[in-house]
Amino acid sequence: MKTILQLFKKDYTLFFKDKVAMGLTFIVPIVLIYIFGKVFGSVGGGDEHLQLGFINKSSAPVAKKLERVLDTTKTFALVKNYKDETGNIVLYDTNMIKTHIKSGKFSSALIIPEDAYTDTSKSLKLIFFYDPKNQFETQLIDGMLQQTIMQQFPELFQQSMTRQAETDLGKEKGGMFNSEIARTVNKFYKIDTSVLLNKNLNSQSDTAMSTGGNNMFKNIVNIEKQQLVGKDIANPMATRSVGGWAMMFLLFTITGSATSLLDEKKSGVMIRILSAPVTSTHILWSKYLFNMSLGIIQLFVMFLFGYLIFNIDIFSNLFNLVLIILAASTACTAFGMLLASLVNTPRQANGWGTFLILMMSAVGGAWFPVSLMPASIQFFSKLTIVYWSVEGFLAVLWRGAGFMDIWQYLAVLFGISIVINLFSIYKFKRGNVF
Amino acid sequence: MIQIKNITKRYKNITALDDVSLEIKSGEFFGLLGPNGAGKSTLMSLLSGYLDADEGTITFKDSIISRDSMKVRKKFGLAPQSLALYEDISAEANLKIFGSMYLMNKDILKAAIEEKLYTAGLFERKKDIVKTFSGGMKRRLNLVAALLHSPKVLLCDEPTVGVDPQSRNAIFDYLQKINKEENITVIYTTHYMEEAERLCKRIAIIDMGKIIAQGTKDELLNLLPYKEEIFIGKNEKTKSVLDSLGKFGEIIEHAEQYEVKLQGDFKLSDVFKLFEDSGIGYNNIDFRKPTLEELFLNLTGRRLRD
Repeated sequence: MKTILQLFKKDYTLFFKDKVAMGLTFIVPIVLIYIFGKVFGSVGGGDEHLQLGFINKSSAPVAKKLERVLDTTKTFALVKNYKDETGNIVLYDTNMIKTHIKSGKFSSALIIPEDAYTDTSKSLKLIFFYDPKNQFETQLIDGMLQQTIMQQFPELFQQSMTRQAETDLGKEKGGMFNSEIARTVNKFYKIDTSVLLNKNLNSQSDTAMSTGGNNMFKNIVNIEKQQLVGKDIANPMATRSVGGWAMMFLLFTITGSATSLLDEKKSGVMIRILSAPVTSTHILWSKYLFNMSLGIIQLFVMFLFGYLIFNIDIFSNLFNLVLIILAASTACTAFGMLLASLVNTPRQANGWGTFLILMMSAVGGAWFPVSLMPASIQFFSKLTIVYWSVEGFLAVLWRGAGFMDIWQYLAVLFGISIVINLFSIYKFKRGNVF
Repeated sequence: MIQIKNITKRYKNITALDDVSLEIKSGEFFGLLGPNGAGKSTLMSLLSGYLDADEGTITFKDSIISRDSMKVRKKFGLAPQSLALYEDISAEANLKIFGSMYLMNKDILKAAIEEKLYTAGLFERKKDIVKTFSGGMKRRLNLVAALLHSPKVLLCDEPTVGVDPQSRNAIFDYLQKINKEENITVIYTTHYMEEAERLCKRIAIIDMGKIIAQGTKDELLNLLPYKEEIFIGKNEKTKSVLDSLGKFGEIIEHAEQYEVKLQGDFKLSDVFKLFEDSGIGYNNIDFRKPTLEELFLNLTGRRLRD
């Protein structure tokens, strides 16, 4: 037993002397849990607003009320206008809101048409444009929209039933039927239904009554849904997710490869190579080119696999896909080289690499739409390679974007690469790898 | 051929080499003997051009060796102290990689690989993965990798670390062979004085970044104040002759022996006569030549392996 205790003690002594192991055991999981909690914890229930394009063409009070309700709810941030080319703020029209959804500015819009609710309407008519590039986001917006409308408009339900009875039974019998129902409800449930029966739907009541049921909802609020992007995509789910997963694995591959510099240093191979007519510049260039080409090949193989197995269309926009692959590989290689320049041992590289890749993947939208994350996290999303790469892949594969639509992704990724590379070279020159 | 002039190299606050000067001749088997941390590997790194000195110059046939001197560096081959090999690929694949660093013609490289592997006794194992090799075989492969481009100078940084005596002999034979037959200058670092004595024509003893002595083995041993030592087992008879022995040199008493460091002018026959007259048998007497270990002890007060 004493021997076991001594060995047990030895392991703890070694563990506490290894700062990297301690960091990986305690600090990294705590930081990751915090970040994942921030990313996933607020979805649909946090204080953050979901962006929703909005046009109200109706003059009906119910439409005004709906706009006011959506304006004040915490769930949505209505986007009603945009800046035109001259910098003027312009209210959206239907065509422009469609254009902005197609270009990925936001994923959904609600249109209240002129004839949304007239004197003879049995239901409220709405139009919902959407781009399901992030299916979860679209479903969430759709669901939250329905919930908001039903929570705020219980009288819609009542009024709809009253009008339906009068249509089916005639005005007189329908009126009698409605009165009988109201009396029965009043008798057994002590609810004064006359208030609702006599209420004009276009009045501005704030009565709250929660109700549900999808079929019922459809009869009361008629939402015409139009998918603007991705209708022809053969496998939407795979097309949406392939970029994110590909990026995460690419980062793992390239980080491992870049940090092989440290293995070569440790094994003495670096001394042998540098004693030949080879300079550190030669080594850095060769490593950079190798990692970049490896990244390009890996991404191609993954997309080709996606094409063969999941029928992802990679050929109809191949040129632009190649450009994004090139930019993503360049940026990932820069990240790998940066890591190699900052750490001292292969073990540190593995620890930091795993931590940063998981964090970038979570925050950058590899697993989950960035638009559903808190605004504070979304700020950091835009600092990651994963975000710009995933958005680039989505633009090319989902929206079939051309060069003019993807140049900003390319510019950001190449820009990040240049900045990181310059810093890495500075660190390599002063570090102890060479 | 190689001139090292007033070289100083520092790592932050540590001075690894302090005003070191040496001259190594063409075709020489030159030894650099010193304990761990003496500065041997740093000097090898400077000679190979892997590091630059803070002060002083190193020249090879009047050309300065530095990190930027690509042409001169081709004349050198470095076998680093660590096994600088890719363990998961074959011996041949390793050599192809390292040979290609010198931009060798493909056919010439292939021929060089076969020839050097044959000379090193590794030809039969050329397709085998390096991690399946014994320690001695890896060490030999480490040397072969440094010789592919036919360098004029081979830098061997402690090439026998972790090697069994049999493999060590194979490495010695190999190095002596290439030194003699190919006229390659060998600069050999070690902390084993036996290796330096056995292999090297000239030896520099280095300690704490300074060259404390250099020359042939005999020249170095001449630096000692005594030429021979006699060890005599302790007993009543030997005790009785201690006073008489004292005139031949300094006597040091050990647990079971007396050590006499013979100094000054005398005839060795006088010593033997003394033993004979005192009835001390030769089986109780051990004559020894001093070694470089004793020279190091004499110069520094420490042993080589301290």
